Amino acid sequence: MGVRDSHGETTGTPDPVDRGFATLNTIRIGVKAMVQKDGELRKAEILSIRQRKDGPSFYVHYVDFNKRLDEWVASSRIDLSQEVEWPQPDKADKKKTAAASKAAPSKNVNANKRARAESRDMSQTPDILGGNNANVGKLSRPSKAGGKENLGVETPGDSSMFPSEAVSTAGTPKATESEDFEMADAAAESKSVKEDHVQTTTGEVITRGEEIERLRTGGSMTQNPTEIHRVRNLTRLQMGKYDVEPWYFSPYPDSFSDVDLVYIDEFCLSYFDNKRAFERHRAKCTLTHPPGNEIYRDDYISFFEVDGRRQRTWCRNLCLLSKLFLDHKTLYYDVDPFLFYCMTTRDETGCHFVGYFSKEKDSAEGYNLACIMTLPQYQRRGFGRLLISFSYELSKREGKLGSPEKPLSDLGLLGYRQYWRETLVELLIEPTREAISENELAVLTSMTEKDVHETLVVFNMLRYHKGNWVIVLTDQVVEEHEKRLKKEEIKGARKIDPARLQWKPPVFAASSRTWNW
Amino acid sequence: MTRYGGLGRTRPKKLTSKASIPVVRESEIDIIDDEIQSSLQQIETGVEKAEESEIHLQRAINATAQGKVNEAHIPTPETILSNLQYDELYPPIFSQPATYIRFSSTVEDCCGCPYNMTEDDDAYLKLMNQKRDPSAGRCTEDIFEEVMNFFEETAQIKQPYAAIDNPPVLSFAEMQDMMDATLEDPMKIFAKEIYEHWKSCRMSVQNNAIVPQLKFETGQDTDDSDPFVCFRRREVRQIRKTRGRDAQSAEKLRRLRKELEDARELVALVRQREIARREMLSMERHLFKQRAEVKEMKRKLNVKDDDEDLINQKPKKRALDMPAQRPNAPQLRMPLKAGQGAEDLQLLEDVQAEKENEILRDIKQNITKHIKWNEGYVDHTRAPLSPSPERTFDVATFRPAFTAQLPTPPSSESSGEMETSLDVTSPLFSKDKLASHDMEMHDVPHRMPSFRRRVGRGGRLMIDRRNMGANKVEMDPLKADRFKFDQEDSDEDHDYDTDAYSIQIMQHRAITMAKAREQAAVAAQAHAQAQAQAAQAQAQRRLLEQNGHQGSMGSNLGPGAVTVSET
Repeated sequence: MGVRDSHGETTGTPDPVDRGFATLNTIRIGVKAMVQKDGELRKAEILSIRQRKDGPSFYVHYVDFNKRLDEWVASSRIDLSQEVEWPQPDKADKKKTAAASKAAPSKNVNANKRARAESRDMSQTPDILGGNNANVGKLSRPSKAGGKENLGVETPGDSSMFPSEAVSTAGTPKATESEDFEMADAAAESKSVKEDHVQTTTGEVITRGEEIERLRTGGSMTQNPTEIHRVRNLTRLQMGKYDVEPWYFSPYPDSFSDVDLVYIDEFCLSYFDNKRAFERHRAKCTLTHPPGNEIYRDDYISFFEVDGRRQRTWCRNLCLLSKLFLDHKTLYYDVDPFLFYCMTTRDETGCHFVGYFSKEKDSAEGYNLACIMTLPQYQRRGFGRLLISFSYELSKREGKLGSPEKPLSDLGLLGYRQYWRETLVELLIEPTREAISENELAVLTSMTEKDVHETLVVFNMLRYHKGNWVIVLTDQVVEEHEKRLKKEEIKGARKIDPARLQWKPPVFAASSRTWNW
Repeated sequence: MTRYGGLGRTRPKKLTSKASIPVVRESEIDIIDDEIQSSLQQIETGVEKAEESEIHLQRAINATAQGKVNEAHIPTPETILSNLQYDELYPPIFSQPATYIRFSSTVEDCCGCPYNMTEDDDAYLKLMNQKRDPSAGRCTEDIFEEVMNFFEETAQIKQPYAAIDNPPVLSFAEMQDMMDATLEDPMKIFAKEIYEHWKSCRMSVQNNAIVPQLKFETGQDTDDSDPFVCFRRREVRQIRKTRGRDAQSAEKLRRLRKELEDARELVALVRQREIARREMLSMERHLFKQRAEVKEMKRKLNVKDDDEDLINQKPKKRALDMPAQRPNAPQLRMPLKAGQGAEDLQLLEDVQAEKENEILRDIKQNITKHIKWNEGYVDHTRAPLSPSPERTFDVATFRPAFTAQLPTPPSSESSGEMETSLDVTSPLFSKDKLASHDMEMHDVPHRMPSFRRRVGRGGRLMIDRRNMGANKVEMDPLKADRFKFDQEDSDEDHDYDTDAYSIQIMQHRAITMAKAREQAAVAAQAHAQAQAQAAQAQAQRRLLEQNGHQGSMGSNLGPGAVTVSET
């Protein structure tokens, strides 16, 4: 782990990392410090700071861990005995950086006396925000740094007026008018994008403009992860019989971040920040299943097909919900060009939403699936596999080969790899099978040839042996296959039965396919 | 590079997707282990680059690569059972239909009033109801929600940009304008009180919607960077350019241009017409003025004439035109005699009567012409041209029977039949023919049923019936012809009428016919008998009358053309 850390940094950042000791008061957004996590110290980036009665608490992202593990930690968990890494300044304005680094120590001195509330007040006033543009270095007063610390702080009242005013404090010289502070905000964000890329990846850097352009024209459901809000906004969800912890940010109304529990109606997926309102709603709501046509039913589950254009509200609710658990999902654009295939379990109260996948009505890239999610309360029970399997069943019915839209999430990758492996092994292990081409495998499974090939390679099944390519059923995959068969014998196999699928590939007229209203 | 199966530096064959690859077990080949690492690195995971290095994911990937699938586990935040009273909130009301559910109602359709009361509302409602006179009725939660929702919606309609330009909270007076259309009467009683509550709620959220709303595009610059703004409209997707599409749009443009030009021309013509009309009006006005002057002068100078110069002389002009046109006019033109006194208004009825007469005359002429031409011939063609082919035909076909008829004296006959049969050659024919032609439709049902008895070879007795009240009127003459002698089943003629040969109808027919035929046959016989009896009675009466008549015309009877009717 440590090796990987250093590896990432050294390869990623050519510039030397700005290290130094910090105090609680000098820690600011973007600082990377060592934080206690499950009994060990991990490097974590501070994403947000907020004031609590018992001192400040920090929203941290553990480097090299998924964002769903990001959390609020008390100051006591941050190890300040070690040096921290100061955030990389933007290369474009080196002067400012110098000024800022000068400002930091000076602030350090005054830190103890400074009242946080006061500094926040200062940063709230647009005048100061507008004034920031001139030169950050001039503002050597501690309030400037204080403003910076407030980046993304979810303070009631604050956030509604100036969602991220603190960012503009860090402002770029470009911003010349007070009305432009939001633009400065954007610039600052794109700066942080670059920073992130420099540090974590050698991959291409996408600017915001390119990103949005890609979204506009691509119809994609995914988004550059660094573009989206990085701090989880909901604390806890109440849905059906469960209390669920959200994983990521989702653009529910911004006042929802102030409440402890957000209520989600299990059937219409409407959201409430007030228990009484939720109960009143439940008394009136008559929905008992996803509002679409049932296209598949067996003893265990049902699938509903819901058209984003016809069920705009429900699908928006669904997307908001699933965004809580899908990092790369974007809600930038509306749900119209998608169909939502929703899996439910049944009981006497209704068809309970378990998971879904969305699918473009007309995918230019040949994707058969855009987003896929199983609700956390139903995870690790094989539902994800059923969803994947169902998506390929639809592709078979369409007579097309398909692949999920990229990027995959970590869980998505594991789920797909497992499904691909099991599906291919099932075919290859048939006793009469002596030879088969990748193309044949693709046609039989509706997987793309690329996915077939890569799966074979990943599981070390495709080898070059004595001048010929062979598909090797390794002892390992055979063993796993047999294990699975045994398990299915005991527990019963949960599989999609194509005969129960009542579905024809929907055809959309040109008018309904266009995305504007 | 000894990557590929220890084959030294030889490059492996290219693997195409269509190439059939043998499937083998691991035991059948040599194991080369440096392959694992090299091959793993070649494959993209499809995961975001920045996240590929995540520790849990790497661990899981490595675990699966080593076959420890159970260790391939990525920790996620826990979910716990809620202490919510689930059963109360989600009643067991679902019953699964036998067929797959089809459903198109939206969330809005299913959720009733979109406003939901909060604890604050509860408190206010309670207070409000306490203050109210108990006899005046209480405000229910539903009414409260409806009214609140109305305020919210009205505010949204009237101040759609409240979030941006911060207008003052909508006043109650403004609300009242909208109230009549939306709110029911019992709700209006509470509106004023609830408004106060709504206003205070609204104030506390800076005149934003009370229920938190999603942020949509507002058209501001800040939209793009605001992570809360979601579900933007998509722009129209770029359509691929092809030659076909180019031609199509060119064609469309051409058509559009043509249509626009047509429209323009139309407008220009209308304009021209209106200008002409204006000219005409001004001319008329001028004329009127001149006439007024003339009148004035006449009065002054005491000129007394017929004042013809004071009125428009158009009628005279037309009268002049008419005779010129007359020879050219086709015969069927409106009668021109009336044109003489064009000033007199013609009555519509007159014109119509005239017209009709003319047509009738024409028809009569044609008929007589045709009959003359066909004299002595019988038209046996289908849809014959002769005016009353049926009759002629009928008579003609019955005629042979007449000759074999003589042994029995006529017991009864219908006068009508007698006449027509006689009239074929009579001088009266044309007139009668015409009359019968005119009346044909009415004539048919009125014909008397008639019968005749014949004795065939070997002394067989035969009874022929005519005009048994079969509704021939509705039948296609061709088919009627087919069943001309098939009068036994006359009551069921409609069966032959249906010419739908769809299997369903035929099956249905087959089943129902079997039953119906029996019954119908019985009924028909009874009916026929009753009719026949009536007919006989009538016929006998007639016979008495005709006996004298017959006597006088006996010579024309020829070879005993007597229709005998008998039961």
